[in-house]
Amino acid sequence: MNELCIDVGYKSINKHGEQLCGDMVQIIKTPESTVLVLADGLGSGVKANILSTLTSKIISTMIAEKMDIEDCVNTVISTLPVCKVRGVAYSTFTIIKITDNEYADIIQYDNPQVILLRDGKNYEYAVNQRTIAGKTILESRVQLLENDVFIAMSDGAIYAGVGDLMNYGWQRDNIVEYAENRYDSEKTAQAIATDIDDACNDLYMNMPGDDTTVAALKVRKRRVVNLLFGPPSNPKDVSKMMTMFFAKQGEHIVSGGTTSTLTSEFLGKKMETSIDYIDPKIPPIAKIEGVDLVTEGVLTINGVLEYVRDYAGENKLYQEWHTKRDGASLITVKLIDVATDINFYVGRAVNPAHQNPNLPIGFNIKMQLVEDLSKTLRELGKNINVSYF
Amino acid sequence: MKVTICIGSSCHLKGSRQIIEELQNLVKENNLTEKVELCGAFCMKNCTNGVSVTVDDKLFSVSPETAKSFFNSEILSKVN
Repeated sequence: MNELCIDVGYKSINKHGEQLCGDMVQIIKTPESTVLVLADGLGSGVKANILSTLTSKIISTMIAEKMDIEDCVNTVISTLPVCKVRGVAYSTFTIIKITDNEYADIIQYDNPQVILLRDGKNYEYAVNQRTIAGKTILESRVQLLENDVFIAMSDGAIYAGVGDLMNYGWQRDNIVEYAENRYDSEKTAQAIATDIDDACNDLYMNMPGDDTTVAALKVRKRRVVNLLFGPPSNPKDVSKMMTMFFAKQGEHIVSGGTTSTLTSEFLGKKMETSIDYIDPKIPPIAKIEGVDLVTEGVLTINGVLEYVRDYAGENKLYQEWHTKRDGASLITVKLIDVATDINFYVGRAVNPAHQNPNLPIGFNIKMQLVEDLSKTLRELGKNINVSYF
Repeated sequence: MKVTICIGSSCHLKGSRQIIEELQNLVKENNLTEKVELCGAFCMKNCTNGVSVTVDDKLFSVSPETAKSFFNSEILSKVN
């Protein structure tokens, strides 16, 4: 293992009028590998959905268990139900398997070829062909470098705009060019995938002619963000909690009025609080030398949870928290874009003035926020540590 | 004269933002920007009686409704 880590994200849009997607993405993480499988089932709707679900599930499970690609393909072929209309069982697939964060194996069958961006530029990797059970499979192995971005897609992506906006649709070359132009080393895999998939949807004029899926996998350095939230239940533990918090490498965020006052006393540095309201719901931020970000507590963290949940789901507020500079947006950027590992230092002191049923800032609400936030961040693939004081 | 308004969680919910806006406007209208410095603070340990405001270290409890009379009695009349 090295200090790199793998960030994965994807987005699918359904063919216009379909309730189910015929494309399926499976991601399996084990201690030594990350496996991404993107399968595109023949046709659309239920039938395609079943084919791609079976294909991606079987392959991702088998590959993660270190079985041979030949066995996987043979298993898929003998398992898939045969389509009555077309007389074939068929689902195309792309597999990207990262081992020890050191190299990637790319195995491709009939999907548009995986794009690799190295430092933001298209990188042509070597491809070997081989035939398994009568199917031509493309295989490659690539040594990883920091900031490598792999982009896999279903053929809906390269058919976007065919006949409508463009004669021949959006070719792979155009997607390469688009991805290069939109490259930003700070962008997450989810942001990259969403960006391209949304562009396809635009070319389809919001009425996709086919299921369209884009998955991205990004190689990045591990980065730690530490967040201090609330004073300890026993006032004697303040200096212990602060010492442990500031001993951690990475960035430091302090959340909470009393908490930041204690921090400023502990560090012996003055706190400067601003009165600029950027978002009327979120109190202004403050500054303490030696701390990367100082915010109010429960209301701000509540805003963060809203943004993080949206990011894990519909991702409608992405632009909002990337442009606004209030406490909640700033923390969200740190947790989503910057951090791979997050340490929460949560103090369990009860502020009697907050235990008012009319105020949405009571102790239970605070603890629930921490739980919900760490759960959602874990689902997004972050390494989360929570310590209570 | 230094006027500090608490913007901690509890005071925020009781209307810090409206009070800050009101005071900012009043300070401007009365041409006091040179003489009165408005600033924020996290938690003055007086959460139950928020919104907490200090004028040169003397503590007051203000609400959005009383902001104007507070300005007249504690700032405008004393600043000169």
